[in-house]
Amino acid sequence: MIWFKKYLPIFRYTSHVRDFKTCVLLNAKRWAPDVDFMKQFEGVAIYPTEEIEKYFKVIYSSIVRPVERKLQNMWINFGPQHPAAHGVLRLILELDGETVVRADPHIGYLHRATEKLMEHKHYTQNLPFVDRFDYVSTLANEQGFAIAVETLLNIEVPPRAKAIRVLCSELSRIANHLLNISGTILDAGGITPFFWMCEEREKIYELHERLCGARVHCAYVRPGGVSQDIPIGFLDDVHEFCMKLGERCDETEDIATENRLYYARTAGIGAVKAHEAIYHGFSGPMLRCTGVKWDLRIALPYDGYDLYDFDVPVGTMGDSYDRHLLRLIELRQSLRIINQVIDTMPAGEIRTDDSKISLPLRAEMKTSMEALIHHFKLCTEGYIVPPGATYTAVECPKGELGFYMVADGTSKPYRVGIRSCSYNHLAGLSFMGKGLMLADISILIATIDIVFGDIDR
Amino acid sequence: MSFLLKRTLGAGKNLGRAVLNSNQYTGIQRVATKTDVATPQVETRPTVAKLDPLQKSQLIDFGKYIAECMPKYVQKVQITAGNELEVLIPPEGVIPILQFLKDHHSAQFASLVDIGGMDVPNRPYRFEVIYNLLSLRYNARIRVKTYTDELTPVDSACEVFKAANWYEREIWDMFGVFFANHPDLRRILTDYGFEGHPFRKDFPLSGYVELRYDDEQKRVVVEPLELAQEFRRFELSAPWEQFPNFRGNPVSEEVVNQSGDQPKKE
Repeated sequence: MIWFKKYLPIFRYTSHVRDFKTCVLLNAKRWAPDVDFMKQFEGVAIYPTEEIEKYFKVIYSSIVRPVERKLQNMWINFGPQHPAAHGVLRLILELDGETVVRADPHIGYLHRATEKLMEHKHYTQNLPFVDRFDYVSTLANEQGFAIAVETLLNIEVPPRAKAIRVLCSELSRIANHLLNISGTILDAGGITPFFWMCEEREKIYELHERLCGARVHCAYVRPGGVSQDIPIGFLDDVHEFCMKLGERCDETEDIATENRLYYARTAGIGAVKAHEAIYHGFSGPMLRCTGVKWDLRIALPYDGYDLYDFDVPVGTMGDSYDRHLLRLIELRQSLRIINQVIDTMPAGEIRTDDSKISLPLRAEMKTSMEALIHHFKLCTEGYIVPPGATYTAVECPKGELGFYMVADGTSKPYRVGIRSCSYNHLAGLSFMGKGLMLADISILIATIDIVFGDIDR
Repeated sequence: MSFLLKRTLGAGKNLGRAVLNSNQYTGIQRVATKTDVATPQVETRPTVAKLDPLQKSQLIDFGKYIAECMPKYVQKVQITAGNELEVLIPPEGVIPILQFLKDHHSAQFASLVDIGGMDVPNRPYRFEVIYNLLSLRYNARIRVKTYTDELTPVDSACEVFKAANWYEREIWDMFGVFFANHPDLRRILTDYGFEGHPFRKDFPLSGYVELRYDDEQKRVVVEPLELAQEFRRFELSAPWEQFPNFRGNPVSEEVVNQSGDQPKKE
């Protein structure tokens, strides 16, 4: 194509003008994909592996297919240290979301082997152990122990001692119910009644201190009677306390009982049917809230309870709200009993006359030789209990506290088996807790009224 | 002469006894017994417990009735502590007897109150398992006792009473009595890695091991026990007889004894 090149010099001054190539492309030196090149992209680029399955995939079509997944319920530890666990309770909960599927209580964090220790000490030395079972209502436990030993000894205490024991037991019942009612309200979120009722319990502790010298663990009610007579003016103070306690309970009831929030928190929680309650061995307020009329003070009366006139409330629904109301009414009935005791307190002695069992009076011990000998033998060796076995139960504020005591003719018991009510109630948690939400579990533990001194012993 | 001596000596003897006993003239006074079945006498002395003779006679009748209904398993029926009924059975009879007592119309002991264990090492079957039952309908209590040793299992009462669950776990933990067919027999009161059965009489009161926190290993370690003071054993037995008034009192009165032998109560 360059035949006209000899004519090109006339185009010398047009060298800035590009050459017009009519047959060759402008960027003929640049490479462009051709057919061979495109062939290598046919076919599969990558095969999916296991790692790739985990990558995030963009769904291009609108159809989303469900993925099969294996889920497991969460197990949490409602641990031994927890403000809502009412002591040292380790509750292993299997939760499906917020709902409890399975509840498994682990206990034993307060186990002190009391039953074994009691075999190595004589009966008076065993009395302080008994205080430490249900430590919120101490005098009621002592009464149970005293009645059990008296059954083995086949003795009866004088009427004044019985009246004092009833007074102590009802004061313990008030203390226990004050704590439990306000504790439940505290777990539900209302903090104030707890402070009010703890102030009332403080007054009960002061009454204990006037009675026997110790605020909580009294060691006052002993087999054979009580250890000392009530001080002068004590009954007046008890009367004044009881007069005012009704109004304190009214204040708490104003906050909690008519409250929609409290009702919503407690109604229907832990509902128990009567036959289930009996089947699981419940007793006390847990049994009465289901509608069963069973109270050991009325059915198998001890210590002169048949002399006093009082009602025993019985619930209908068996749920936590019923228990709250039941304990409040029981508190007021305890006030009624205390008033009757104060009115009819008999005069007389406070210990059995049998000098082989009860200590002599201090003045007598310092003057009479025989009294000194008896005092020495009773304090060192203790009184000998004739051989026998008994199961004696009393109506503790939480339920039925029973002592299976076997004596072998020495001054130490051969075996003391303690049946505490909170043990059964906590075992019932595993069937009552199913289907409840996690927040309801803490309310349920509060209304069951458990205390770990009782459970673990 | 001898007449005078006897009088003075006799007077001295009476005087001594009157001072030492709280109840004077023991020879003349009627001895208190709990065995007045034939002629129930009402107890009038203020310091002695008053038991209801009607309740006792009803319990005796019921004890005889149980022995008639279940002659295969009831070995002995007795009354202890004045007015508590006890039924003694072999370990094979636990489930039949408990089921009978729970479901029979004139028994209806629907509530299992307590299962207790007791260790009497002298016996060949050293462990005693005691079931305490309560009838809400008839306001009565009853006790069922069986025996076993370390290796023989007892049938679990869980199928009869749900309340038995934790009680049997406790007896397994504390005594080592195995309960067959228990849904969940594991330790309940002792520590998680604890070895031994604490309430047996040959297990010492202080145990074998002690726990402490070791700063080097940063955990709680278990070590053999070291006590600062040796265990003081107080021998508290008195040389003289303690309860002359109760000398005639039996530990337990037999209502029915079908096995014929006389086991001694501890």
